[in-house]
Amino acid sequence: MKFIVGGAFQGKTEFAVKNFGISEAEITDVGKCSVNQFSEFTNVKNYHIFIRTLMDMKIDPIEFTNVICEKKSDMVIIMNEVGCGIIPMDEKERKWREICGKCGCIIAENSEIVVRVICGIGTVIKGDNACL
Amino acid sequence: MITLVTGGSKCGKSAIAEKIACGFSGKKFYIATMKPYGKDAFQAIERHRKMRCGKGFETLEKFTDVNEIVVPKKSSVLLECVGNLCANEMFTENGIFNPVEKVTDGIKYLCETAEAVTIVTNEIGSDGFSYSCEIEKYIEYMNRINHGIYIFSDNVIECIYGIPIILKGELPC
Repeated sequence: MKFIVGGAFQGKTEFAVKNFGISEAEITDVGKCSVNQFSEFTNVKNYHIFIRTLMDMKIDPIEFTNVICEKKSDMVIIMNEVGCGIIPMDEKERKWREICGKCGCIIAENSEIVVRVICGIGTVIKGDNACL
Repeated sequence: MITLVTGGSKCGKSAIAEKIACGFSGKKFYIATMKPYGKDAFQAIERHRKMRCGKGFETLEKFTDVNEIVVPKKSSVLLECVGNLCANEMFTENGIFNPVEKVTDGIKYLCETAEAVTIVTNEIGSDGFSYSCEIEKYIEYMNRINHGIYIFSDNVIECIYGIPIILKGELPC
């Protein structure tokens, strides 16, 4: 599994296209799709928004993420970092942010390479630079 | 040895900080700073308690006045977290407007007392939202405290989804 993290609009998708030999069309925006479709995808982006969809459907995102890590070990997952701010007042938002953190830790643990992208610049924070 | 561990919400800071604090011999203390108010606080306290269980930490509760903590010289202290300390100083009855000096100096004093201090803090300045004046001040003061601690820390570790990134010094575990 390959995992790309970073803030919004930092060039994460472009980084994946440039370095992982995949086209943009092969990266599905799961922020805009239903849960049932997920198994059809090879690579995904906006996984943090997909976590919201899972929560709305009353599906445990942590369990779901564990299954993905087991069954989709070739996948590239792109996800925003969302935890570096003030704790939201709204309980649902608070929960979502916490679950994003936990799911991110699970994906990172199961990935052979983790890249953090800022201003289009990717830094390998886990794994071998040579994988790029 | 002073180590600051920073990062976003639920990104594995506590687990890394515990591992660092456990790497030292001598008595281990956990400074709990979260006031047990509300369901979320109870859940967080319980979760952290379970994580520490069996690791030999003695828990000291200290919500404010971190400078008053007394520990033996040869001890390893895990302080969690700066965000609570700053909020507790600012937002409680008789709270102080600007806690930067008090919290920073208090932690520095603790660091001079114990052999090893591992401090957990939070990154709170990157969500891009505008907040009330009070919260904006909290963000400013928290970051100023983080800067202050960074200066006297031997190691500064940022945690990204469970992965430790060395910003200063080394990862002491």
